[in-house]
Amino acid sequence: MAAVKKESGCKLMKNTVVKITDLVKRYGDLVALDHLDIGISEGEVFGLLGPNGSGKTTTINCLLSLLAFDKGEIEIFGKKMNPTAYDIKKDIGIIMQNVAVFDELTVYENIDYFCGLYITDKVQRKQYVNEAVQFVGLEDFLKFRPKKLSGGLLRRLNIACGIAHKPKLIILDEPTVAVDPQSRNRILEGIEELNRGGTTVIYTSHYMEEVEQICTRIAIMDKGHKIAEGTKDELKRMIRNTETVTIEIIGLTEEVKAKIAGLPHVYQTNFDGTKLTVCCSGGKHNLIRILGVLQENELSFGRVYSELPTLNDVFLEITGKALRDKGE
Amino acid sequence: MQVFNAFMKVMKKKIFIAFIYIFVFVFVAIAMTFTDNNVSQFEQVSLKVCVFDEDDSPESHALCSFIGNDNELVTLENDRDVIMDALYYERADYVLTINNGYAEKLASGDTDGVFVSMKMHDSYSTVYMGQMLNEYVSTVSAFLAGGNDVMDAVSRAEEVLSKEAEVNIASFVSRSDPDVNTNTVFFFRFLPYIILGAVMSTLCPVLLVLGRKDIRYRTNCSGIHQSTYTIQIFAASAVYIIGIWLVFMIVGLIINGGTYSGIAWLAVLNSFVFSLFAAMLTIFVVEFEPPATMVNIITQVVSLGMCFLCGVFVEQPLLGDGVLAVARFLPTYWYIRVNRMIEGSETFDMNTVVLALSIEFGCAAVMALLAALVRKSKYTGKSAVPV
Repeated sequence: MAAVKKESGCKLMKNTVVKITDLVKRYGDLVALDHLDIGISEGEVFGLLGPNGSGKTTTINCLLSLLAFDKGEIEIFGKKMNPTAYDIKKDIGIIMQNVAVFDELTVYENIDYFCGLYITDKVQRKQYVNEAVQFVGLEDFLKFRPKKLSGGLLRRLNIACGIAHKPKLIILDEPTVAVDPQSRNRILEGIEELNRGGTTVIYTSHYMEEVEQICTRIAIMDKGHKIAEGTKDELKRMIRNTETVTIEIIGLTEEVKAKIAGLPHVYQTNFDGTKLTVCCSGGKHNLIRILGVLQENELSFGRVYSELPTLNDVFLEITGKALRDKGE
Repeated sequence: MQVFNAFMKVMKKKIFIAFIYIFVFVFVAIAMTFTDNNVSQFEQVSLKVCVFDEDDSPESHALCSFIGNDNELVTLENDRDVIMDALYYERADYVLTINNGYAEKLASGDTDGVFVSMKMHDSYSTVYMGQMLNEYVSTVSAFLAGGNDVMDAVSRAEEVLSKEAEVNIASFVSRSDPDVNTNTVFFFRFLPYIILGAVMSTLCPVLLVLGRKDIRYRTNCSGIHQSTYTIQIFAASAVYIIGIWLVFMIVGLIINGGTYSGIAWLAVLNSFVFSLFAAMLTIFVVEFEPPATMVNIITQVVSLGMCFLCGVFVEQPLLGDGVLAVARFLPTYWYIRVNRMIEGSETFDMNTVVLALSIEFGCAAVMALLAALVRKSKYTGKSAVPV
């Protein structure tokens, strides 16, 4: 990891690709981005994690100069970003949630069109388009029109259109929304492959599992604020919880529950009538100690789980609410 | 030229709508060319009439002579089968038998049963012939009752019946200029409707596809300059507009006898300026991002509305003052004014022509300006660039 120094609340690293400083965006009275600072270094897969409406897409739109902002500064590749910074834009690839392709053009024509917005040399473009087609595995569908493609193939086409020009920075704005698990895994594998090739990736999602899986560093956002930033381990270390033990049990008395709550490293217990949840902070052998208390009191129990903290726990502990809305 | 090429590829998928307009209009125009549309003259119909004069009197001879003035008298054998055959095979259209006692009945003022007629069917001509014969005997009978002798009454009746009503067909095409023929005038008069239809129904969907929010988003994120993008869209639109206009001009050229000369070039210029207006109007409509399903409705309302108001389908002199007062604000009205001068329905005045062309061009400029304003108002304060 490159050396880090602190300046204006923004971590600046060697080979900083993106630097967002004190970014403020308002929609009337609503503050969509509230003094946001983000720094992303070269070769990172940077995750922007947050619930719907947390400001992830607004951040991306400001980053791409598609949205005027009220305050702050954005630098990409060390240059100030603005709507006419075409020299910066040519090194950025964007893959958004919606499939943005022409229904009237074939798969090949679509990739060629979007690649052609960056690469004017025909020979080079042809090579890039063919490589992008191979990368997403659409060789057999080159003459198909998008309407004839399945949802998964459409997503692949969408990605090919965004990466064909071999950008140094790729921004993926919730690319896996409404995608089946198989296609989702393929997309994530593709992102990791691009990153291995040296591309810096910004990945926004409200799926914590995806962010945990592929991102090297994560910023958690809520209501326009960056509430935490770091690697997934750093984020998890920020919170008290280190282990959550869940036990299916019937007939747990208040006395036994109090004994468990009194165990070392246990800081929270909850019993809903069938399931006991015990949150621990640090320590080893927490599960053995809890099961020991149950055995001492001759209580039988069903399934037992011990889980390490997730990003949802991080979000829950910092904001007091779950990261993902019910039903999402 | 990436955007230009994409424009043309999308256009290929939408152009069939324009072809429908072009083919229908060209078909009608060519059909009109091969149709005799000289409607300013009447030709009196002449029937083949066979008369059997059983009375054989001077009065009956006079009737035969009267019939023979405007009709062809044919001779047939007085046999029912022969007569029926002649009528069936159209060797005769009307067979009249003047009954014995015709002259006496006429003198006594009794016109009933003076003759019997046979015809194959009731065409306008044969019905008219029957009416004319009835009118003849009534008139002769009236003159006889007035104290005239028979020959005098016959003579006066023929004189009265020979008077024809004066009928004038209003013609709005009076130019005899060899530079434009009547069919060319017809072609250019209806051109605004077709140009509006062909341009709006095709260019609108293509611009809507290219301007689709997610596509524009991706385009705006790319390395292409905004000005380059706009220029390529403009160039592609211009190529399409000029292409469509050229197709119409070639058709007009064929209709005009293979050449444009003299004042015909003014019609060409007039149509070109109007095509510019149609293009700018389309761009203005596109700025409101109508749903694709609405494009056809908008096209029909705009093109038909303008054409009805401004005198494309109904001649301007037949439109009310109120309608014309409104129409003056529309370029189609001025297009038709120029066209009327070309066809000779209106006195040619160069100042009015220049004014009309300027107004048409001005309307195109206003549309472009309004489109720019709508675009600006949509994005100011929200987006850094149009999304």
